[in-house]
Amino acid sequence: MKEEFILNKNHLSYWLRQIRKNRELIGPMINGGNDIVFKSVEKIHEIALNCTASLPSPKEFLFPQYEPMLKMHHPSSINRQEIIDLSDKTKRVIFGVRSCDISALALLDKFYLEGYKDPYYSERRKNTIFISIVCNNPDPTCFCIGLKTGPYLENGFDIQITDLGDRYFLQADSQEGKKAVRSMSFLFSRPKKADYEDQYEVFLSSKARFHKRINLEGIRQIILSGKIRDDFWQHVSERCFECGGCVYECPLCTCFTVIDRQYSGSTERIRLWDTCMFKGFTRMTGGVLPNEKMVKRTKRWYYHKLIYYPETLGSFGCVGCGRCTITCPGKIDMASTAAKLKSLAIIDGEL
Amino acid sequence: MKNHITNRKANSNIYLPLNGKIEEIKELTNDVRLLKIRTESAIDYKPGQFFMISVWGAGEVPISATSLYKGNTTIELCIRKTGIVTTAIHSLEVGQSIGIRGPFGNGFPLDIPRGKDVIIVAGGIGIAPLRPIIKYLINNKYELGRVTLLYGSRTPDEIIFKDETEQWKESGISVILTVDKGNDSYSGNVGFVTNLWHTVRADFKNAIAYICGPEVMIKAAMRDLFFFGMSDEKIITTLEAHMKCGVGKCGHCYTGPKYICTDGPVFSYKQIKEQSILM
Repeated sequence: MKEEFILNKNHLSYWLRQIRKNRELIGPMINGGNDIVFKSVEKIHEIALNCTASLPSPKEFLFPQYEPMLKMHHPSSINRQEIIDLSDKTKRVIFGVRSCDISALALLDKFYLEGYKDPYYSERRKNTIFISIVCNNPDPTCFCIGLKTGPYLENGFDIQITDLGDRYFLQADSQEGKKAVRSMSFLFSRPKKADYEDQYEVFLSSKARFHKRINLEGIRQIILSGKIRDDFWQHVSERCFECGGCVYECPLCTCFTVIDRQYSGSTERIRLWDTCMFKGFTRMTGGVLPNEKMVKRTKRWYYHKLIYYPETLGSFGCVGCGRCTITCPGKIDMASTAAKLKSLAIIDGEL
Repeated sequence: MKNHITNRKANSNIYLPLNGKIEEIKELTNDVRLLKIRTESAIDYKPGQFFMISVWGAGEVPISATSLYKGNTTIELCIRKTGIVTTAIHSLEVGQSIGIRGPFGNGFPLDIPRGKDVIIVAGGIGIAPLRPIIKYLINNKYELGRVTLLYGSRTPDEIIFKDETEQWKESGISVILTVDKGNDSYSGNVGFVTNLWHTVRADFKNAIAYICGPEVMIKAAMRDLFFFGMSDEKIITTLEAHMKCGVGKCGHCYTGPKYICTDGPVFSYKQIKEQSILM
């Protein structure tokens, strides 16, 4: 049961400063190249409210691009007492996240914490609070609205903020979110009828601003119908640069590799992001490359996100954040490919 | 996802290797050695399950168990030198430490009905994951029908467990060896294992088969056995993949809609066909 509050706009920075006393505050900042980047906040006024998509996604604070896992000091011998677990136990609050990234978080939680529990993700997750803002400034590339992954979430968040102009409508859903509000309860007041009405207006306003309305369930049915021949995927794969950008920027991609690095005096076991788009991703003993052909990798990415994700995790492997549209130099991102598939289906007399 | 977590209390970090000590090393061929490893505590495992074997500085590699669990603290692993980690393993000596994570995966189904014929098809290093099944069958031989092992390797010098194949014969298993290329001192079969079905004495319709080896051999054997009338649920193989985590997270062994490390590595022909696992 989520709790709802009103926060005066002038009090936001004070609230964040109090939270920052025992947690690292991370927020969206505009860097030198005018990109939106999430990083540690030193001056609260520098936070870019109403920002568009950050690159990379906030995923990197739970699943970092480079994550040391274990460390062993030399001399070389394995003894559990000498192996140090390098789990990151830093307490963080990540402010200014978009709703679609919070939706992605729910799926990441499912993936990393069910079955075998990933200890590094788990440790970061339980030490992190997310404060998301209802998006009222979507990119032209955004399409979360067709997937119900945004711009406004009914549940599954820690704290969600709606900007009502001169004040914030704030909702806390998780226990951690409620605790963060209650600890500063004098800053918040209870919402009145006019506040609910204004909130609903903002909701309608943000919905109206989306350029793209993509129905991925329809695309999934098109693929499952079996009418998409392999030469479609061949055409898609020919435009692939194999840069891996779609995977690295996707808030839902989870692939990694594990390597050992030697330093003087110690060895560290590290995990790094990896991408199934790379030829060597599934390389096997003796140099066998099961997915050597680019068409196999490209097709598999779409099948994974549109067919297998719903089968195994209950939702599409896409939250409509639009980052792959921004990133992909070949224009074969999720939105573009979905549009092509839809047009193919229309030509065949179906929709 | 299936969940085969064991020794959870001992190790809540699924990526932290347990300490094992190399107790015995046997060089089986030029590039294959058999390690007997003693662990701090007994690790329960089933034939077909695999361990992530860890050498600090080199990394980890998935290796199937090649021994049968007897309630003790030793595990046998059969390792061919092919890459960075396996080369590092081949340079270890008796008494040195080695890291072990696992076991992972689903393991072979071994509930074989009484009187059933069993066919085992092995190619090269693929004999290693199948060896515990053979031991299991020998231990239960009075309950089974006819057991046949078809084992192919590239050359006579590369036949792994050559000494043990004699013992298996003495235990009543029909062992049929073949090589891709013979030499002057070799007088046995030459050719692929899939050309030797005529030597198998089995009621194919009511038999069960376990297959492990190169992918091309697996596919051919599965197709042939199915053609001979064997149920596709009873044609069972174990697949290889270059896992990094072993627990269904890193994505390297993802094939079709399945993770080989958690949904497999043991699959039936029925599963492989229905879920496009070997695309």
